Amino acid sequence: MLFGITLITFTLTSALPGDPVYSMVGERASPETIEKIRKEIGADKGVVRQYIGYVSLLLTGEMGRSYYTNRKVLDEISTKLPNTLRLAAGAMFIAIPFGILLGLLSAIRKNRVSDSLITVFSVAGLSVPVFWSGLMLMLLFSLKLKVLPPSGTGDMRYLILPALTLSLPAMASIVRVTRVSVLEVMELPFVRTARAKGIKENRVNMVHILKNALIPVATVIGLEFGSYLNGAVLTETIFGWDGVGRFTMEGIMKRDYPVIMGCIITGTMIFVLINIFVDFIYYYLDPRVRVDGTER
Amino acid sequence: MPEFTVRIFRLVLILPVFFVICSCSAENRLPGYLYYRLNADPSTLDPALIVDVTGGYISAKIFNGLVKLDAKLNVIPDIAESWDISQKGDEYIFYLKKNVKYTNLREVTAHDFKYSFKRILSSAGKSPNTWVLEKISGAKEFMQGRATDISGIVILDRYTLKIILDQPFSPFLHLLTMTAAYVVPQEEVERLGADFSSHPIGTGPFLLKEWRNNNEITLTRNNHYFSDHAKVEGIVFRIIPEDLTAVTEFELGNLDVITVPASEYARYSTSAQWKKYLSSVHGLNIYYLGFNCSRPPFDNVNLRKAVSYALDREKILRTFYESRGKLAVGPVPDMLRKWQMLFPYGYNPREAKRIIDAEGIEDRTVLFYITADQEVIDMAEIIQFYLNKVGLKVRIKQLEWSAYKSAVNKGEADIFWLSWWADYPDPENFLFPLFHSSNHGAGGNRSRYSNKEVDRLIEAGQKARDISARDGYYSLAEKIIDEEAPWVFFWHKTDFTLRQPYLKNYKIYPIYSIDKGVEVSF
Repeated sequence: MLFGITLITFTLTSALPGDPVYSMVGERASPETIEKIRKEIGADKGVVRQYIGYVSLLLTGEMGRSYYTNRKVLDEISTKLPNTLRLAAGAMFIAIPFGILLGLLSAIRKNRVSDSLITVFSVAGLSVPVFWSGLMLMLLFSLKLKVLPPSGTGDMRYLILPALTLSLPAMASIVRVTRVSVLEVMELPFVRTARAKGIKENRVNMVHILKNALIPVATVIGLEFGSYLNGAVLTETIFGWDGVGRFTMEGIMKRDYPVIMGCIITGTMIFVLINIFVDFIYYYLDPRVRVDGTER
Repeated sequence: MPEFTVRIFRLVLILPVFFVICSCSAENRLPGYLYYRLNADPSTLDPALIVDVTGGYISAKIFNGLVKLDAKLNVIPDIAESWDISQKGDEYIFYLKKNVKYTNLREVTAHDFKYSFKRILSSAGKSPNTWVLEKISGAKEFMQGRATDISGIVILDRYTLKIILDQPFSPFLHLLTMTAAYVVPQEEVERLGADFSSHPIGTGPFLLKEWRNNNEITLTRNNHYFSDHAKVEGIVFRIIPEDLTAVTEFELGNLDVITVPASEYARYSTSAQWKKYLSSVHGLNIYYLGFNCSRPPFDNVNLRKAVSYALDREKILRTFYESRGKLAVGPVPDMLRKWQMLFPYGYNPREAKRIIDAEGIEDRTVLFYITADQEVIDMAEIIQFYLNKVGLKVRIKQLEWSAYKSAVNKGEADIFWLSWWADYPDPENFLFPLFHSSNHGAGGNRSRYSNKEVDRLIEAGQKARDISARDGYYSLAEKIIDEEAPWVFFWHKTDFTLRQPYLKNYKIYPIYSIDKGVEVSF
């Protein structure tokens, strides 16, 4: 699979218009200097030879060096990935409990005022762009209330605003999916049976309904988390958060091919791992997934 | 409301309150340090490799050269105490100050300059700045690997360095004020290898304390600096990509100076609280609409003039650009020009229409190349509107920066929007790279403009030792260029910065290398 990803990414980046050398050399480099630098970064070779060279490099456990900073791409990603992981985890830490609780509440209180309010909130969460919500949160918590730093990568204080900003669209998605899923499960016979057996309403809601409604929610959480682990470009840019998203975007803007390739390969691996993890969660949540019939 | 619902609402409300309470604490600042903003991390701090303004701005505080610029753009001594120039103007002898030390406490000698210059020109190196020093005699042979030494750099003794040029070049001292001509210690470059890029060691008023990529660069005062010491303990450059975030940080007192973003200019320039802390300087730059003079339709000088007549530059500057610049009368910024020029081709749409009708190109669509920057996109739409009004059809083609540069260099555009910023403060820097026929494309002359008389005048100016004779050549060259209109000259952009009220002796300079950071204090 990685072979396929590297091939597709390499072909696409090679087909892009523009030449990184022009950005690297400034305004007055001579044609000889441009040729020298092109040779230095291997851009003078054919695409096939460049690709073979890159795959050989990957096989040695390296991802090459950035054309601009000359730093190792693998080291850069290793530094930035924990920051991205913290941001994604922070966002999901807010989005998952709130999203599920509000979704459940919305379903239980269907067609009531609280349902309408939650629906408005979730539609707004999905439709308001993060660069707006991020700046508004910054204005409120940093400039007016002066309780949180507006930007930077650091401890818990620095994490809250970007994580909150990033959590809003994820929370909204989780609310929508949870609501629909809970409403579906509520109609199933086993819920009626549970109620008929005299089980308390809270237990019916939290155990019988919610657990069975969580399968599609787990999918959404997995997808959102996976995409956040590949970086949240806008959020990271607004809050000056040193994550993989900003690194990838800067690589794309500068045509820094080793950076683009390194980030896409890492992102793909993360996405695959998250999907495998989500499949495991299905296994625990839904007996129907256990195809070998093993009881748990 | 049922108990279950109330519980959920409680949970939803408690978590953010918890977050805010646990996060309440003051912003940490290093005492005595200045806080500046950068919008991007510099790629490198190795003077041999720096091509971006950010890198040049920081390295000016870490390194020194033989000479430097003062606030009035005069060349003054830096590590060189004085210098002699031969009558012909092709030989320079520099007498170095004694006891100038790197931050590793080793003394700088003439050998260090020879090593640093050879490093830039080395055929094995990858410096994109070879052009700064390639006028030195023997540089080309050395760059091509045909010589092992540069014949034009001669060490006369430990503190005396002689530089011989292939031929006289009047702005040579200006070239030596540039980043690429800073001195670096051989032993540290060899010890650190490629890591010298991120662990620079120089002689400057500051030394690099810490570089947290994409976060902060911290410089601390060099207490062994050979000249006036900095009055602050150090400088922290915070990397904040988003303008509005930087403004918030400034208003919270977490930054001491910011460059005023275009979107905030109107607010700050009219604010009673802030307008007195606004500083400005006319930048050494020129914003222009370039024509491709090497192919139809704009190989026709009349059509170039027609486009110039069609655009109301004064109005665009006043309204769209909020007067954040000075109208250009030619390519050379006023600060560098000692001769008079008239404003060429004032707004005259009737004349523009008359020429376009007479030349008969109404059916032709003009290809207008621009970058994807929002301000440029808005500007392009304004230009398109004005040109449509006089009967020229314009198709805007928007490209990513490196693709744009590549296309414009190859001459694919009919017209294009660009700016040029001075490498050094000399009119030659606004004439030779931009209009000499040897520089078509990547060399700087993206209009592919050719005029033998202009070439001759620029070359004569480069060789002239006498300032008034040199200005005479340059003024004639600029007048021909204005007459032939290879560009529509728009404006010289003004830079604005905003400082905190408690900052003393803060100054803004027209070129980044002047600011050594030693004057400003709290």
